[in-house]
Amino acid sequence: MSSISLLATAPAAHAQADVALYDPPMCCSTGLCGPAIDQSLLDTNELVVALKARGLHVERYQMASAPQAFIGHPEVMRLVRERNMEALPITTVRGTVIKSGAYPTATEIEAALEGASA
Amino acid sequence: MTQFLFFSGKGGVGKTSMACTTAVYHADAGQRTLIVTTDPASNLSDVFQQPIGHAITPIDAAPNLFAMEIDADRATEEYKDRALAPIRAAFPPAMVAVMEEQMSGPCTAEVAAFDRFTDFLDVPSDAGGDFDVVIFDTAPTGHTLRLIELPVEWSRSIDAAEQGSGQTCIGPAAAIQDAKHKYERAVAAMRDPAATTFTFVLQPEATSLKETRRAMDELGKLGISSQHLIVNAVIPAEEAANPLFAARRTMQQGYLAQIARELPLPTRQMPLLAGEITGVDRLRAVGRLLFHHDATALVDLAVNPDAITPLEPDLMAILPRLLPDGGRRTIFFAGKGGVGKTVASCVTAVWLAHQGFKTLLLTTDPAAHLGDVLDVPVGDTVAPVSGVPGLFATKIDPKAAGEAYKTRILADARARGRSPASIAMMQEELDSPCTEEIAAFDLFIDYAAQADWEVIVFDTAPTGHTLRMLELPMDWSQQIDVKVFASVDGAQADEVAKARFGGVIELMRDPRQSTFAFVLYPEATPILEAARAVEELSSLGIAPGLVVANYVLTEAAATTPFGQARRAMQARYLAELPSRFAAPVLPIPLLPQEVKGLALLTELGEQLYNADVPTASGGSERQGSPEAYGS
Repeated sequence: MSSISLLATAPAAHAQADVALYDPPMCCSTGLCGPAIDQSLLDTNELVVALKARGLHVERYQMASAPQAFIGHPEVMRLVRERNMEALPITTVRGTVIKSGAYPTATEIEAALEGASA
Repeated sequence: MTQFLFFSGKGGVGKTSMACTTAVYHADAGQRTLIVTTDPASNLSDVFQQPIGHAITPIDAAPNLFAMEIDADRATEEYKDRALAPIRAAFPPAMVAVMEEQMSGPCTAEVAAFDRFTDFLDVPSDAGGDFDVVIFDTAPTGHTLRLIELPVEWSRSIDAAEQGSGQTCIGPAAAIQDAKHKYERAVAAMRDPAATTFTFVLQPEATSLKETRRAMDELGKLGISSQHLIVNAVIPAEEAANPLFAARRTMQQGYLAQIARELPLPTRQMPLLAGEITGVDRLRAVGRLLFHHDATALVDLAVNPDAITPLEPDLMAILPRLLPDGGRRTIFFAGKGGVGKTVASCVTAVWLAHQGFKTLLLTTDPAAHLGDVLDVPVGDTVAPVSGVPGLFATKIDPKAAGEAYKTRILADARARGRSPASIAMMQEELDSPCTEEIAAFDLFIDYAAQADWEVIVFDTAPTGHTLRMLELPMDWSQQIDVKVFASVDGAQADEVAKARFGGVIELMRDPRQSTFAFVLYPEATPILEAARAVEELSSLGIAPGLVVANYVLTEAAATTPFGQARRAMQARYLAELPSRFAAPVLPIPLLPQEVKGLALLTELGEQLYNADVPTASGGSERQGSPEAYGS
């Protein structure tokens, strides 16, 4: 049987993203797969699409498909160990955690990007 | 080069018997042969009379032959374990528990089953050596199609995901990159006529013919063109002496001509046998008949007709489980395709409507043939069945439901002013196999929640699919519990959804409101399959309310040695039903003609359910009424 290794197939966590979202477990990134449509997930998706359109490097990680991305970020793992599910989602901008427990707004991302490049 | 032989066909047509016969035939010819079942209700161990299970197992009585039953639950467990290993190693237990819950969803089961299926198309050299022939005794038609459609859909959805948002609806299927090449190889192997042959097993009757044509078309669209037919259970010419079989034989000959005209494929015929096909010796004898038209090795046992005691239905126990008890009654007909589930549900619904109850008859079977049996059109919206006051019918078409769901979600997104880029991304995510499942389920709940019916009769999908469908509410409730992160808007939506699904689960568990009727016919395989289905449902807190034994031969029908042999075989199985299922048993007689049209359904309903019909000298008399047998 072929074995499936998550470690081998996880997206490279080390290529630093401008913005990274560490998502809670869910069926897919939009929440469309679930029985109820979650508008905040759609808002987040629009935000991600808009950021990407500006040429920014945005990554989304889920525990199931990219555990290495979590494990490779000490601050993210500290939050996860302390607060479990409540820590998620976690947002990092250029490697620094800017929000935990809820998705960021466009304004929050903007402020963090300006702060990080300043 | 390894040959892949797929056996496709509606459950109950003899697919497993024909696949096993072919497997023994190839093994005896000196080819290293593996037979694999991906059917959730698999029964290779019954046919080969030895334990098989979830590993490649040598068959004792046939050198060169190996078999494996893919246990869908176990495949899911193994898949989950592999995916969860790195998470267990790094994350706190509370989060591992959440992930485990998450991976209990229906998508994981689909992905895991598919993953195992493609393993064998890849011919793993580390799994017991190379095989000359690999035979897949696949799941019943609807499920088979889903499995076979999956490679294409999954590949597409993986491709789209790479260019798109970087996520896919596969969700728990983590090893996408790794699996992608395997899926592509699987599709390529299935399309290569030098490597793969699809054999459709069917019986010479209307629904089997129609479903086979549908399955052929679907495969053709997927670029799979190497197709063969086995027409099974053809009544031998000698049986024309028996009026019941004579009428059925005439009907069959009509369909055989139609098959020759409309399904122009290489075709073999297999006669109806008096006994069952179990054990390697008998499979060899059947193989000689199938491949060389040599019946000399097949000797069916003679029987003593006096030793047979007909099964009497206990209407006093049966009727309270079908009639409404103060509130509304929901009746679920469960059973593998081909056991006569649609006929049982139509007869029951027509009879209940005639008793004055406002009745909805509903099918969730992807290969719906409710309209064929009623002989009136049945559409995607609830409509009265003309000719039976109080009876309404509709079907759930998963593809149509998926489209409607998609349209609704996207219209809502546009109304909320979502950007075109966002809409495009949503569209991409909705183009996944999950969407149809969810959409069909959503409709199912809608109907289950409607309050103005006195009776709802569900003509449910074949067993494996039925269970998935019925387990969905539980799965989704668990998924909702997992969503601890939801925003206010999302949380409200979840609450509504949770209340909706919770109500359905309660309804299914309450015997005063719901009856699960398990349809089978009195032979080993369908009984085992029904028993497995009962076991799976009982783990969800649902007990069987009724067992419907279909195609029962009456004394009047069993006048030839062949008929007597079959009736004796049935009697042995019928006798074990009441204690085995702890539920009353309703026998439905085998009729010379197909059960079709409202007049015949009405008549059969009265014959089955009206306790006051005179029974001159016992139940077999009542069952053997002249109208029913058209003698």
